[in-house]
This record gives sequence, structure tokens and C-alpha cells, in this order.
Amino acid sequence: MWRGVRNREEGRIHPHSFARSVRTDRLSSLDLSNRKEIVSPHRGAINSLQVDLTEGRYLLSGASDGSVAVYDVQHATDYVGGSLIAKHKSLFFVDKQHEQCHKYSISSAIWYPVDTGLFITGSFDRFIKVWDTNMTQVEMNFEMPGKVYGIAMSPVATSHMLIAAGTEDVQVRLCDIASGAFTHTLSGHRDGIMAVEWSTSSEWVLITGGCDGAIRFWDIRRAGCFLGPTSNSFPAGQSFSVKSKMPQKRTTHGSSLKQSTSLLKGQSQTKSYMVQRQHPGMMSIHNRATAHYGAVIGLKVTSDGMYLLSAGSDSRLRLWDVETGCNTLVNFEASRLQTSKAIQLAVSDDSSIVFVPCKTAVKAFDVWSGRTSQIFRGHYECVNCCWFNPHDQDLFTGSNDRQILIWSPSNSVVPEVEGDGDEGMNDDCDSWSD
Amino acid sequence: MSVWNYVVTAHKPTSVTHSCVGNFTSPQELNLIIAKCTRIEIHLLTPQGLQPMLDVPIYGRIATLELFRPHGEAQDFLFIATERYKFCVLQWDAETSELITRAMGDVSDRIGRPTDNGQIGIIDPDCRLIGLHLYDGLFKVIPFDNKGQLKEAFNIRLEELQVLDIKFLYGCSKPTIVVLYQDNKDARHIKTYEVSLKDKDFVEGPWSQTNLDNGAGLLIPVPMPLGGVIIIGEETIVYCSEKAYKAVPIRPSITRAYGRVDADGSRYLLSDHAGLLHLLVITHDKEKYDISADLRVLGLKIELLGETSVASTISYLDNAFVFVGSSHGDSQLVKLNLQPDASGSYVEVLERYVNLGPIVDFCVVDLERQGQGQVVTCSGAYKDGSLRIVRNGIGINEQASVELQGIKGMWSLRSSTDDPFDTFLVVSFISETRILAMNSEDELEETEIEGFYSQAQTLFCQDAIHNQLVQVTASSVRLVSSTSRELLNEWKAPQGFSVNVATANASQVLLATGGGHLVYLEIGNGLLTEVKHAQLEYEISCLDINPIGENSNYSTLAAVGMWTDISVRIFSLPGLDLVTKEHLGGEIIPRSVLLCAFDGVPYLLCALGDGHLFNFLLNMTTGELSDRKKVSLGTQPITLRTFSSKSTTHVFAASDRPTVIYSSNKKLLYSNVNLKEVSHMCPFNSAAFPDSLAIAKEGELTIGTIDDIQKLHIRSIPLGEHARRICHQEQSRTFAICSLKYSSTEEYEAHFVRLLDDQTFEFISTYHLDTYECGCSILSCSFTDDSNAYYIVGTAYVLPEDNEPSKGRILVFVVEDGKLQLIAEKETKGAVYSLNAFNGKLLAAINQKIQLYKWMLRDDGSRELQSESGHHGHILALYVQTRGDFIVVGDLMKSISLLIYKHEEGAIEERARDYNANWMSAVEILDDDVYVGAENNFNLFTVRKNSDGATDEERGRLEVVGEYHLGEFVNRFQHGSLVMRLPDSDVGQIPTVIFGTVNGVIGVIASLSHEQYVFLEKLQSNLVKIIKGVGGLSHEQWRSFNNEKKSADARNFLDGDLIESFLDLSRTRMEEISKSMSVSVEELCKRVEEMTRLH
Repeated sequence: MWRGVRNREEGRIHPHSFARSVRTDRLSSLDLSNRKEIVSPHRGAINSLQVDLTEGRYLLSGASDGSVAVYDVQHATDYVGGSLIAKHKSLFFVDKQHEQCHKYSISSAIWYPVDTGLFITGSFDRFIKVWDTNMTQVEMNFEMPGKVYGIAMSPVATSHMLIAAGTEDVQVRLCDIASGAFTHTLSGHRDGIMAVEWSTSSEWVLITGGCDGAIRFWDIRRAGCFLGPTSNSFPAGQSFSVKSKMPQKRTTHGSSLKQSTSLLKGQSQTKSYMVQRQHPGMMSIHNRATAHYGAVIGLKVTSDGMYLLSAGSDSRLRLWDVETGCNTLVNFEASRLQTSKAIQLAVSDDSSIVFVPCKTAVKAFDVWSGRTSQIFRGHYECVNCCWFNPHDQDLFTGSNDRQILIWSPSNSVVPEVEGDGDEGMNDDCDSWSD
Repeated sequence: MSVWNYVVTAHKPTSVTHSCVGNFTSPQELNLIIAKCTRIEIHLLTPQGLQPMLDVPIYGRIATLELFRPHGEAQDFLFIATERYKFCVLQWDAETSELITRAMGDVSDRIGRPTDNGQIGIIDPDCRLIGLHLYDGLFKVIPFDNKGQLKEAFNIRLEELQVLDIKFLYGCSKPTIVVLYQDNKDARHIKTYEVSLKDKDFVEGPWSQTNLDNGAGLLIPVPMPLGGVIIIGEETIVYCSEKAYKAVPIRPSITRAYGRVDADGSRYLLSDHAGLLHLLVITHDKEKYDISADLRVLGLKIELLGETSVASTISYLDNAFVFVGSSHGDSQLVKLNLQPDASGSYVEVLERYVNLGPIVDFCVVDLERQGQGQVVTCSGAYKDGSLRIVRNGIGINEQASVELQGIKGMWSLRSSTDDPFDTFLVVSFISETRILAMNSEDELEETEIEGFYSQAQTLFCQDAIHNQLVQVTASSVRLVSSTSRELLNEWKAPQGFSVNVATANASQVLLATGGGHLVYLEIGNGLLTEVKHAQLEYEISCLDINPIGENSNYSTLAAVGMWTDISVRIFSLPGLDLVTKEHLGGEIIPRSVLLCAFDGVPYLLCALGDGHLFNFLLNMTTGELSDRKKVSLGTQPITLRTFSSKSTTHVFAASDRPTVIYSSNKKLLYSNVNLKEVSHMCPFNSAAFPDSLAIAKEGELTIGTIDDIQKLHIRSIPLGEHARRICHQEQSRTFAICSLKYSSTEEYEAHFVRLLDDQTFEFISTYHLDTYECGCSILSCSFTDDSNAYYIVGTAYVLPEDNEPSKGRILVFVVEDGKLQLIAEKETKGAVYSLNAFNGKLLAAINQKIQLYKWMLRDDGSRELQSESGHHGHILALYVQTRGDFIVVGDLMKSISLLIYKHEEGAIEERARDYNANWMSAVEILDDDVYVGAENNFNLFTVRKNSDGATDEERGRLEVVGEYHLGEFVNRFQHGSLVMRLPDSDVGQIPTVIFGTVNGVIGVIASLSHEQYVFLEKLQSNLVKIIKGVGGLSHEQWRSFNNEKKSADARNFLDGDLIESFLDLSRTRMEEISKSMSVSVEELCKRVEEMTRLH
């Protein structure tokens, strides 16, 4: 890093490359933080973690005892161990004492992407609640037909405020915070929906993964065509299917691409090259192809919007090219995933590493090669969720053992923390002995 | 200071990033086009060298600069792409000498990760498409249609994620790219793809080559008839095509730039990281040249030509002339000779173009103690490292001076008409005239010219034709022989009239007596003839007949300034017929008029008694005046005189703020002179003092030479090594620098602390740092209970295997007898990134920690640094500034935080923080509450301490109050000013901060009052409507704060460069703005000129 700082000030490397190489270095040195601790007040498994997208400052956690908590991860509440270990206690905690609290397990808790004034929780009690952060009051309730498995809001949306909800039910519902009503019901899955994820490149594209093993792309502007009779004339455009797996990513993508392009041309009058960039994952209800054998339990779009990672109860991790809908056939090293409930994956901000909860450990895989780059062992029970905070390259993990652990970059600086303390001591000794 | 800031460039970027050669301005003319990050310069190649044609700002950082010629065009177009994904195609408009935008657009995408290795922009040699590689895995294509117009762009997925270079191949029936890339295992390969425009996709290309040199980084496409591509590696150079593969080993080096010599592509110039220029030759069987299909490449040859600056771009111009553009040293114009010189070099440097970049550090000092700051920068890198002393205005270097009170005028005279040097200096006083001359000992000595009348004030003196001299006094005009020095003829003023003002040139005399009489005399051989007499209605205040026409001895026009009606009039000579009358308005009379030509453009300058100056364009044939402009130069009456320096004529305006008026790019520029008050000036070019000026000021007559005429004067002190940190110590009158030198093997760097004399800039003492030890920070300070001034140096041990230094030192030096004496040292657990004097103690930033040291007296009387308290919690505390008990820390990636030192507890605590994820590059404290930061994405921002916040949460947050995209990477802020601070002017009260950037920009941030800010903001928003960005790029978008996460409109920052361009507008456009702002043009000019005085 020292050299990088020097090269940057001399203009030898572009500041962006400098930032990227620093991030990469830090990413490769993630370890259990010996500087920061989160004091978890939850009395149940942590199911969901998210740091707000605006400042990277407030961590929201949802647990299976129906409780939610918010922590300031930038600013410690107190220090222990000679001010070296920062304790982050929750700023507020909502549990069963709170009259508006969820009755059952919270499966998913997310921030409103625009600011930290609101957050949303989805629970097995069939409710999605929108909370006012400052008042800790429920502002809105959406009652769903079944247990809520996952909720998501688009991080890039500028023209809608929709919560996508995956539930026990086969339909994906979009709840509009602006009106308090369901705006869309997306049918296509043949079983409950475990994972929902918005595209990071288009605010209109939603990706869902179901217990039927299928991953589906929805352009919510064209939701109607799935329901109408025209859907019949809309054959399996892009099936995210293992069966139709391409033998070579490069050699065949052209053909599948053209197919989708031509299909879309008929549908819309958009400029041809635009079409290519759009998501052709318009699947028909008749398409039974599956992405995973078993349920899709986790979905994550890379921050550049070009790839999608999926985890299945078949203990497989797959990387999909979003544009073409092809499996990129990156062979992620075998790992046993928890199969009973949804897991929350995390991707580093340069999209090079994916963090996957694998039983009691979290594994970091290189996205392009599929190799395990790191294994984070620290939890005593199964890990459910992880979140990567790009602001300071911290990884947060939550587990059935009710703990939230922070994994921080531990470049050579950190081991000296102890040394520094000693140094102060030695200094004192020196001056006394003189 | 305040939150309302005004950012202006005092020194434009000089680091050359791109260059290209082509027929841009006309099919016959060859142009060199240079990109200096945010500016482009267009030069014309002439037999005399490079002639600048245009220098314009671009609203963006230039990522790609390419010339191309669409089908059916006779001259080239210029393609520019910026780092923020805008592109434009420019064409030269020969009629207006301006750039016209042929096409423009945005090529950004919502998806994709910006490329690691820089943006690539290439144009198909057959002009079928433009290719852009902006995001990993995407190749953007902008196709041309048949008419050469650009069509809608589209993306093609590129399988290779780590692309190092992409080029178009020559001579392919379909546009074909060759891609140099690195795979997951860090091996490098090339691959070719045909671009199928119909399918909007790639088709596997004709060939590929795997496992190249691990340092391969540059592709050179070879034109037909050879075709193929050259791959430049660190150890080998490979030629590769469908048919051939030839390799040649080279001495290990990193090649950064290439330039093609021949159109057929058989010779190339390569420049490496050490600035060595090589010639690469492709040998082929020439005999078969006619049957071009069978031309075979036989091999590659490489030859060392010599050394230049470390090049970032090379453009072969013509006839062995080469432009070497550099971003780490001065750019050069070199000539390649056929024969080597004595040292074996074929390279001859013809011209150097000053480059301050990268400014890694600088300090503001006032070495001459004149109240004017100078900036001393650490510039350049590698072997081209140097110190540059940058000073505003033009310096007069005093050669001699004598005490003389009450000088009323001065003229220099020659002893004969064809003498190249001046001999006499005529000095006029209220009631006498003295004549000084150089004697044989080169001393000024009083002498006599017999024919001159010395008992009265001289009004004017002049060398005249036929070896004669002219003296005008109140009573007469005397014509004197310069050889015999005897009076030849005399014209006496009529009875009852005395001459008030007079002027003359070699063959004409024009004078005015009381009562508005204007008398015109012509000088013959030994004869003065009164040719014409005219009476004007008012008294005459000033006159001029400086010849600016073809005849340098005779003027056909006379300029006359009038009392009472406050006008300036143009008369034709010899008839004294009124040609033009221009009322100046106001009540201040013109005190000096001057006819003069700059760059061949005739002007009339007219200076008023209150320090204002009018300038007009003068039509020599009709005598009409146009394009009136008014500037304020000072507050006292101005006397205008011409002088020449480097065979160009300039005008010296003597007043309380002496100014030199000169022209650049056909634009009048005003540059102040580093003198306090000058009453008179005349050029005095004597044998002993060539090219000198005689200057009369406050009871003193000074003879001195003048610096090069430019606004900022830059003196270069080449070091031959790379200075990284600098600081000045007033007490010892020295500079100390941390520098490093690359050893010949290039594997090892030697680091030093050097002491320099602040006048001579010579090394007077050196301290060698340990092996692997680097100087990171330097400070001059003193401690509590110890008045000595110390130099404190913070270092880091950078071991080759360590990623992050884990050890460093703080060294305390004292300067004794001109030597650096190490008196204390303290080991640290990391690199000492920053040092600050803090409450009589030393505050160091060491890796992630802020550490306070006190200066303790030991029992044996020696001193040592003892750590007192510290603060953790930064990722890397790179930049620290302090004020009182407050500490402002700029973190590697966590923006600005504010710490406070608590005296009672002796502890440092965090008070507030900006929670944005800004990667800092510099911080400075503007005032108690407002701090400015520069960050990694070339933005500036200000944050404010919120002490009155209602909650802890609010108080703990630094509120972002200003945002601005500077487009430059700032390395350092320093309080100070480049200009003389005159206490009586408004501008003198505006606090300023100077910054230095990687591209060699020196800029100024000025804190305005709210009233000023609102006024100038309104002006800026009006200017944005009138001044359109080159290539149609938007000013608003350019200045909007932009990083990976967000883009926000600029706020609380004004673009001074744009505002000051108001003064360059034509009168009609000024009036347009004046109307929409309902402020008079004069007022606007005055306000803007005030701002220009800040730098």
C-alpha cells in the first residue's frame, strides 16, 4: 500500500487502479476482526444482515426470534481492552416486547435503499412490515399468503418503491410502499420462492429463485405478458437450465443471444443494441427447466450487473451470465450448503469474490475460477447470512449461534495493535529507567 | 475562510498524456495535437518549429485522442473520449480558427466494471468503426456509415476480462482487432477477432498467439504491406502475423510509448521507463516490394538512439523531428541525427516544454521578502526530478542602482543610428536634465551632450535618422548631431506658449502647447521642419506617434489624448486630419497613449490617471478603433512605454502596480512585475547591460534585466533525482528535501535527506537514509521550551517482501554550520506518513495511528521524543493537518475525521467524521469549522464541523457543504498566495489555499464572501449558457461531483477558469451577459479582473 500511495501521487498508476488494488489486497486478508465486535442482542438465529447502502454505517439484523436490531458499525458504542477493541452495541432493538413486533422468525430484513429512514422486515408470520427507523414504529403492513422467505428492494430504482417478496406461495408479489398495495403478482414458479433479487443494472428487472429449482427473470414492466394468452407464443426464451447447459460458454453464446434478440425485437420497438443489453429472461410458465436440482436458496447479482450467482439446495453454486442467460460453467469447488432455509450470499464490490455460508463456515470463492480462496471459521453453528460492506471491506456474518461476527482486512498493520500498546509501555519504562 | 469557494487554475496542466500528428487544420498543413489531461493544444509544423494555433480546455479528462480521416474527407478529424465516458469528434473550421463538433455522445453503460488498465479507444484504419474498451468484458463499437457519420453504438461481449491492449489490424477485409490479455494464471496471450457489424458480434479472428512475454503490455499494429502486430514485452519484442513470428530479445525495460516513423510501418521509435529512445526496425525482403503480396518479414532490429525525458507519448513529426511528450519530465522537441554526437547519442534536444507534473509536494515561501509568495514544487519523477520555483509575475533582476530623487522622465539614446547598443541615458528632473553614459569601466557616469539644453526638464528624447538626436523641452525642440553632439537646428515654441507634451520617432516630432495647439515637425538631415499646425478645442494631455506601420521610422497616425471631453483621437499624418474620436467616459483624463502592435495586430492603448487602461483594436488604414476593453492595472497614473525582450515588443505600464502587457494567442495579457512602484521606465540596451531596462522608482534608478515574459515565472532546478517532500526553514534559510535516486541497475533506490541553500539551491548537506528506508514526510518546527528550529523527517522501511512497512523512524535534525546534524531518532511501528507541529509537540501519523510525541529533556541534557498519546481507528492516516487543538485526518478510504486533543487528559479523541467513503489524497483546514479535501476521483469537497448540532449524532458528523469535480489529482494543499497582497485592495483580504496536482497544475482556492459568491455564481450560470464546451461537452456535468457511487451537482464551488474567460469574450457577448444580469459590462469586468488578481 505504501508503494501504491507513492505511485499514485506520482501519477504512475491511475487512482482508480490504486483503489482497486488496495481493495483487492484488503479483501485477500480478511480475518476475524480483533478490533471490532458486534454485541448481538438476539435470542435466535440471525437470518438476515444488511448494512445500509448510503453511508455503509448502519447494520440491520433480523433474527428467528422475531427481533430486529440496528448497529452503528462505524462508530463504536464503547471500547474495551485499552481502547483497542471497539464494541458495537445495538442502537435499538425490537423484540417481542414491542407491540408491533413479528410473531415468528424474521427471514429477511432490509434497508430502504435511498436512506436509512425506513427498513423492511419479512417474517414467517406472513407479514412484511415497513418500519420507521427513528420512531421504531411500523408504518405499513403487507399481509402475504404464506411465510415470507425473502424480500428485496432495487438498489438502483429511481422511479418505483417496490418490495419484491418471495413467499411460500408460487407467486412473487410486489408491494408498493408508495401506495401500500400489491402492484404486481408474478406467476411462473411452481413452488414457493426462496430468493428474490433485483438487478443492479436495471430497475425493472427482478430475479427470483424458487423451491422448484428455477431461476426466473422478470421485467416488471411487461409482467402482463406472462399472464396473457400471448405467453404461449413466447417460448422458453432464456431458460436458466442445467439441461440446456452450454458446452462452451464462448462458442454458443452467440446463437442464444440472437434468438433472444430477435424475440424481443418483435415485442418492443426499442433500438436494437439496447435490446441486447436488456434482460431476455422472459420465461414462460410452460418452461420447466431448472437451474438447480432442488430449491434455489440464494441469489446474488454482481455489482457490475453482468453476472448472477445462485446457490441451490443441491449444494451447488452457479455463475450465470445475465445478458445471455447462460451458465458460465465455472466449477465452484464442492461445499455442503445448508439446505433447509434460504441463505444470504455476498459478493465483494469488485465482483471477484463470493462469500457463501457453508454450514458453520463461510467460504470465499473466486468468482471467475471457482476456487476457494478463503474459509472463515468462527461460528459454532450454521451460518445463514453474510453481508459485505464495500465501504471498509468488512464482512458480516450471522449464524444460528445467535452471533454476528465481523471479518476485517487484517493487513500487517493490525498485528501491531498489540505491539503499539506494548510500545507505549516500553516507552514509559525507558523514560523511568533513565 | 468560508464555505463559498472559488477554484481557479494559476498554472495550467503541463503533463502531456497523448499526442498525434495529422493534417487537421488543412489538407496541406501538418499538425501536432497534444493532450494535457484536460486541455488540447493544436500546433502547426513550420520550418521554424512548432507554432501554437489553439489551446482549449476540454470538459473532461482525456482518455483517448485519435486523428482519423473518414472516406471522402481531405483532412483529419479528431476523436476525443473522456474518462467519464463522453466522446466527441472535432473538425477544424479554417474560417474562424475554431473547433466544430461533428459528433458527440455518451458511451457509459449501466452495467460493467470500469477497466483496470485504463480506457482504450481505437479507430479502424479503414475507418469502418471506432472501438472502445471501457468496461471489463465489453467492447463498444461505434460504426461509421458510408458517409463517415457515426451510427448508434453497441456492445459486444469480450471474453477476456483482463485486457492489456487492443488494436485494429491493418489490411483486413473485415475490421479486425487484436487483443492482448492476461488469463487467470497471469499468462499473457493475444487473440484476434473480426467485428461483424451486421451481427453485432465477434467472429473468431484469423490467428492468435499464446504464452507471450510476461511483461507484454503494448501492441503496435503494422500497416500494409506487412500487416500483423508488434508486441512489446519487457524482455522481448515479437512481430506476429498470420504468416510470420519473429522475436528479438531486448535489455529488460518497460516500454511506455511508441511512435511510428514510416508510413509503411517498418521503423518505430520506442521509449522506455528510463527515457531511453530506441529505434525498432522491421527488416523485410525489399526486393520483392513490388509483389507486395509476398513481402516477408525477416526479423526485427533494435538500436539505442539516445536519451530523452521519460516519454508518455511519441509523435514523429517530419524530417527526423520528433515530439516527445512526457508526464514525468519536460516534454521535448528532438531531432534525430544521422551521425551520433560525441557521447554516442543520435538525439538532439531542440526545445523543452516546461512540465511541473507530477507536483508531489510543494511549499510556499517568500524568499525575497517582498510580501509575495513563491511556490517551490517537487516536480518530475525518475531521473527528471527537479525543484521548480514558481512565481507570479515578471521578475526584474537588478544589475545596478543609483539613488536619484525626483526623476520625471528617462530616455536612452544611441551614439549613432546604426549602433546596436544604447550609450546615453537621459534622465529628466523638474528643472534640469542629466545625461548618464557607460564609461570604459562599464560604470554609469554623468556626461554631457553639448547640444542638449540641460537647465530644464526634458519632455522627450529620441534617436533620429541621419545620426541625430532630438530633445524636446518646454521651450524648444533641439536637433543634435549624435557624432559631434552639437546643436544642428532648433524649433522654438511661439512666444507665450510652452510645450506641454511631446513625442517623437526617428523622423517625426509631435508636440502640444497650451491652448490646444498641436504642432507636427519632420526631421530632415540637420533640419527641423514645421509641417503642420492644428488647434484643438481642448488642452492635450498625451500624444503618441510610435510607428507601427511598415515603415519603422515614420508613422501615418498620431494618437492624442484630450482634457475636458476625456477623449482619445486619431489624426492622420502629416495632414493632422482628425480620423477618429473616441470618448472614454468618466472624469479621469487619459495620461498616456500608445500605438503599438502585438503579434502583428495593431492596438491603441490609453491609460488613465486612475490606473485604468483602455485597449482598442486599431485599423491601420481607416484609423478606426474597435473592440474597446477596459482593465484596471493600479490606482495611480500609468505611463506606457514599449520595450523588447527576445525580439518581441512588449509594453511596460509604469504605475503603483507596474505591469507588462504582452500578447499570446492574439490575446492581450497583463502580468505584474515584482516591483512595488515604478514611475518611469525606458529600455536601456547597453553593451555592459544587454537587454536591460532602466527603471525609476522611489528615489532610485535601477538597471536590471527582465525575465521571460509570461504570467507565471518558473525557474527549474534539475536534481537528477526525485524529490518527494520539501520544507523550508526560515531560521537557517534552507530547504530540506526527501529525495531518492534510482541506481543504474534500477533495482535499488537510494534515499536521502538533503539540505539546500534557499538562495542558490545547492545541496549543502546530505543525510543518507538506511537501506530500504524511504523519507515519507518532512517538517520544520520547534518545541515547547526549546526555541531551536529542527527539521523532522519521518521515514519507512520498505522491505521488498513486505506489503506494508512495519517499521519507520522519526529523525530530528538541527542545522549547524550548514550541516544536517541528527540529534534524536525514534523508531516507529510503521511508515510515518505525516508530521505536524502541534502545541509545541510533534504529531505523527503512523500507518493507522495518530501519535503525539513530546520533546523531553534527558538528565544528560540531550533531548528525545517520547510518545504521549495516540489515537487508533483509521485505515491509513495519510494526511493530517492541525489547528489549535484540532486535528484533521484524511484517511486512505474513510474521508475526513476531526480529532481533538484534550489537554487535561492528555488524550486524543474523535470529535466528528464524514461518513462518506472518500479515498483521500489531500486535506487542508480552511478555517476553524470548514475543511477541504481532495479525493481519488478527482473531486474536491468541503465539510463543516457541526458544533451546534442538537444530538450527539449530529455533532459527530462532519456535514458535507461543498462538492466539485476538479478533474485533477491533488497531492497537496498549502495556505498562501502567489500574488503580492496589497492591503488596500479587496482581493488582498480574500484568503487563499494553493494546491498542486499530478498533472502539474497549480491552482488556487479562494474563500469568498457570500455576496461575492452569489454574484459570481450568477455570472457563471450566465457564462455556461454563452460559452459552449469544446465538443459539446457540458460544463455542469463536468464539474459535478462524481465517484463510483454517486454523481451530484457542484455546490459551493465556482469554476474560476470559466468565470475569468469572461474577459476574453467579445464585447457583444459581454453585453449579452450584462443585460441578463443587469450589471454593467464595466462592473462585470472589474469584478472578474479582481478575481484574476488572486493568481
